[in-house]
Amino acid sequence: MRTKKKEGTAEAGKAVSPEKAAATGLWSGTVSFSLVAIPVRLVKAVEPGRVSFHLLHNKDYSPVKRAMFCPGEGAAVPPEEIVRGYELEPGKHLMVTDEELESVAPERSRTIEIAEFIDLREVDPLYFDHPYYLVPLKGGEKSYRLLAEALRRTNKAGLAKFVLGEREYLVTVRSKDGALALSTLHYSAELLADAQYAPGKAADEKEKNAVKKCVKEMLGGFTPGKYSDVRRKKLLALLKKKAGGAQVQAPELEGEPAEGVADLVAALEESMSRMKGAR
Amino acid sequence: MPATIWIGNIHFGTISVPVKLHTAVSQDRVEFHLLHKTDRVRLRQQMICALEKTPIPAEEQVKGFRLEERKYVLIAPADLEQAEPEGGREIAVHEFVAAGEIDPVYRERTYFLEPGEAPAGYAALAAALWEMKAEGICTWVMRKRAYLGALASGGKTLRLGVLRYADEVIPAGSLGLEDFSLSEKELEIGAQLIDRLSVPFQPGKYADEHQGKLRRLLERKARGEKISLLQPRQLRHTEGGKLLAALEASLKAAK
Repeated sequence: MRTKKKEGTAEAGKAVSPEKAAATGLWSGTVSFSLVAIPVRLVKAVEPGRVSFHLLHNKDYSPVKRAMFCPGEGAAVPPEEIVRGYELEPGKHLMVTDEELESVAPERSRTIEIAEFIDLREVDPLYFDHPYYLVPLKGGEKSYRLLAEALRRTNKAGLAKFVLGEREYLVTVRSKDGALALSTLHYSAELLADAQYAPGKAADEKEKNAVKKCVKEMLGGFTPGKYSDVRRKKLLALLKKKAGGAQVQAPELEGEPAEGVADLVAALEESMSRMKGAR
Repeated sequence: MPATIWIGNIHFGTISVPVKLHTAVSQDRVEFHLLHKTDRVRLRQQMICALEKTPIPAEEQVKGFRLEERKYVLIAPADLEQAEPEGGREIAVHEFVAAGEIDPVYRERTYFLEPGEAPAGYAALAAALWEMKAEGICTWVMRKRAYLGALASGGKTLRLGVLRYADEVIPAGSLGLEDFSLSEKELEIGAQLIDRLSVPFQPGKYADEHQGKLRRLLERKARGEKISLLQPRQLRHTEGGKLLAALEASLKAAK
C-alpha cells in the first residue's frame, strides 16, 4: 500500500485539494442541514509558520520556480494546458476532464449536506486530518450564525461528505469562536491497526500507579502559546543579522507581474511579535 | 509492519521509555498523472529559471531571502545549519493535560509508537495515560525540525500526535464575521433539530464510496463508452426572513 502522496499527481498541478481550494478561495458552495441551506466559502484555518526562502539560479539570481514541464516540447506548460490522465498501461493514458470528475458525484460536489450530528469528544484524535473555516457568502449570514450558535449550545458537530476534485472527504463542521470550523477526517479504513505494536506483557500495577502519580503532579492546562518553533526563531535572528550584509539583484523579467514589495524589517517584526504574542 | 520512521526516548520525571515511530494512516487512492493537453505527454515537475525558462539542476540553485523586489540576501547551507535545533533522541514531556482540552485545529498527523529496546515502563505508561484520559505535551527534534506534540494512549499502544504551533493557527476572529441577532425561538428549534439528528460516532459506517465510483467511470471510459455529464446539484439558499419557517419545517420532517 502507498502511504505517501506522490508528487506530480493532479494535486501538485491543479487546485483540487481542499488546501489549495481554501488558499485560493476556489471552493464555494452550500452547507446544509435539513431544509436550511447556507451559501459558504472554504478558507484555510492554519498557515505553516515557515520562514520562506526563494530559490534562485546561481548564475543570474533570477527566481527558480516549480513548474510542470513537458519533456516532449521541452517547455513549461501553463495551467490551462494541463489535464488529468489515468494510466491504463505504461505510456498510455485516459484523459479525464473536471466535468467528468464532477459527474461522479454531482450531489456532493457543491453541497456539504449534514445529515447527522455527533459529539466531537467521541472522535478519536487519530481521525483529524486538516482544518478549515467556512465563511458565509452574501445572504447566508443569518443562517450561518444560527448553525454556529446552535452547535455551540448543543456542543455537537455536523458530519457530512463532500467531493472536491477527485476525492470525497468525510468532514465535521463545528462551532469555534463564533465561526464554523470544518475538519476533514480520515476514513476508518485508512487507519492502520496499532495492536501490532502493543507490548506482550500487561502493565505492572505498581509501576502504573507510580506513573499515574507523576502524571498527576505534572497536570496542567493546554496553553500552546508557551511553545514556539526553535528553528524559526533562530532563522529570524539570523536573517536580521544578515540583512545588512551583501545583497544580490535579480534581473528584470519581461511580462512578470511585480510582486508586492516586502519590507524586511516590518516582516521580521511582525513574525517576532506573532511569536511573542503567542508566548 | 510499516517501516520505522524515527527512534526516540520519552522522558519526564524519572521515567524514560524508548520508542519507535510508525505511520498510523495509509491511503490508497486512484492516482492521476498530469498530461499536456496538446500532445498527451506526461508532465514532470521541474524547477524552472524565470529568466532562461529552462530546468535548473539542484546544484545550481541557491536560497535567498527577499528584502525588496528583486533584491535578496543569499543564505548558505552553513547559515541554515546554524539555525538547526539541536538534535537528539529525547521526546521531552513538559506537562500533562486532560484529553479533550486540545482543540482539533492543533492536531496534525499521528504516529504509533512501538516499544524500543528494553522498553520497561511502556505498558505502564500506556495504561496510566489511558486510564487517566491524559495527554502529555512534549517537544522533540526530528530530521532537523523542532516538533510540538501530544503523547497519548490508545489503550495498550502509545501514540505521538504532532501539534501545530499556536502562531500557525488562524484565529476565527480574523475572519471578520458579523454578529447577527437571532430570536430565541430560532435558536431553540435549531438546537432541538440538532439533538434530534444526533447519533453516536461510528466511523466504520462511512466508507469512501467515491473511489469505487471513480474506478467504474474510468472503466467505462476505457471501453469507449460515452460519459454523460451531470450538473452539480445546487441548493436554493435559505433567506434570512425564511429561516424560522425552514427550521420549523425541518423539525417536523425530523420527527
